[in-house]
Amino acid sequence: MKRPPFSPRRAGLIAGYTFREAVRQRLLVTLCLVAAVTVGGTLFLRELNFGSSELKFITDLGLGALTFFGAILAIIAPAQLFFSDLEHQTMLTVLAKPVSRTEFIVGKFGGVLLLLAVYCGAMTALVAGLLAGYQTGAIAARMDGPGLGSTVFLSGVAVCGLVTWLKLGMVAALTLGVASYARSGGFAMMAGVVALLACELQYLARDFYGQMTTPWARAGVWMLGLALPDFEAFNVSGRVAAGESLSPGQLGGLATYALAYMAVFAGLAVYGFRHREL
Amino acid sequence: MDGITRVFATGWRGPTVRALNGITLRIEEGEVVGLVGANGSGKSTLLKIILGVLAPTEGECRVFGVPSGRREARESVGFLPESPDFSPQLTGFELVCFHAQLGGMAGAGIRGRVDEVISGVGLTEARNRRVGTYSKGMRQRLGLAQALVTDPRLVILDEPASGLDFVAAEETARTIRALKARGRTVVFASHRPEQVEELCDRVLVLDQGRLVLEAAVAELVCARAPTALLVDPLPAETLGDLRAWLRVRGVEFLGVERSRRGLAQAIWSRWDGRGGEGVERP
Repeated sequence: MKRPPFSPRRAGLIAGYTFREAVRQRLLVTLCLVAAVTVGGTLFLRELNFGSSELKFITDLGLGALTFFGAILAIIAPAQLFFSDLEHQTMLTVLAKPVSRTEFIVGKFGGVLLLLAVYCGAMTALVAGLLAGYQTGAIAARMDGPGLGSTVFLSGVAVCGLVTWLKLGMVAALTLGVASYARSGGFAMMAGVVALLACELQYLARDFYGQMTTPWARAGVWMLGLALPDFEAFNVSGRVAAGESLSPGQLGGLATYALAYMAVFAGLAVYGFRHREL
Repeated sequence: MDGITRVFATGWRGPTVRALNGITLRIEEGEVVGLVGANGSGKSTLLKIILGVLAPTEGECRVFGVPSGRREARESVGFLPESPDFSPQLTGFELVCFHAQLGGMAGAGIRGRVDEVISGVGLTEARNRRVGTYSKGMRQRLGLAQALVTDPRLVILDEPASGLDFVAAEETARTIRALKARGRTVVFASHRPEQVEELCDRVLVLDQGRLVLEAAVAELVCARAPTALLVDPLPAETLGDLRAWLRVRGVEFLGVERSRRGLAQAIWSRWDGRGGEGVERP
């Protein structure tokens, strides 16, 4: 069967539809609100800083909440939005129009990426706002010194938001890739969680790889390590909290790495969906 | 449609199921065709192949001369799935607008067309409400609106009256009659033979993936059926005269049967479903 050529316009329409659908879903909105409350709550929890400076604690906790709730969002949103269309037969009404399956998957993924961008943008702005307000207030109160800690640059927080978005984009692409083969949304979400943990623990696999002596075992672990992205490089909140930032070269490298994995996972999703019986 | 066979695999290395087996048929433009068959007879699979969302294992399906699945074929088709459950977060207007844009519509005229088609299915007052607040009948009508928004030449409906109350079912029937009057081709699957009899020119009966009957509805219903003569009133002395008159002319008189209107028809003849004031009592 000859497929209609790819149309960015139609993929964009599906992305817009997916985004609109997602931002009106009670579950996803609640998740974002809980994330916002947690980020906002860091100001009140700063007394529990376990000996680290208050600014570092606020930055760590705020950016940690951004990543944690973002990961949940990046797993739930693609699985739920894909399977609700599949189970309610509304996918057929879309595919009965001159829309290819590639456009459908690219559109779905685009909508989820947009959702994650808005989420990361809003949460990063919230963390940056809190830090700016707290730093200004602390400086005005002459509270500088070891209790406050070194100044956190807001540009570093913004870079951290961008890097988190790239990381969450990979998680979403991976979940969508699983969803296109899976029989249920629950399975896709579980697989997304397992994959997320595997990506976070890639550094252990690399350490293990270094200890391998037999070539076939090294090759096996190397292949396994290549199949999933290594998220260690994307965990930059600690550096940002310490007042450091990423160079443009480092940021470009991370973006290229993330986009390559997103393309591979989205490609797998397209392949799986093209061969799926509807 | 020529020699369409569709085989599904059931699980990993499991046995295969032949959902359609060598279906060959031709539907003329402007026809209303009913697809009848038990659950699992292959109706939905056949509709999906016409739509182009499912490829046949063997054979070829063409829509207006173009292989189904090609963009040109899909541009001429509107589809209503069985019991669609559209995203509850969107409004009816947004949903139909989205489908209009996917169908290739653009520009200033799109809002007018969406409003027109929403009005055509009787959802004007609910157009800005979220779909989650719609009743089942309203969702079905919304599904019809998204299928018709691009004014397709071929309309495919999978169980369009499934689960609807008689008011909504009659609205759907009216829409199908209107499509036929405008020369559109309609193919719909149904479990209800009386609906097919009422609306269709031709009926296709599927059984276990095979086309077992293909006939014009009028021919099928009238073949070897006695002719009914409806009169009103019929006094006893007139009946005696009529029997004698028919006997002389060699016509066999089979009996007298009181004609009854169905309840739905009786209600519809008094109330057209569009509201009104007061309670009417015969």
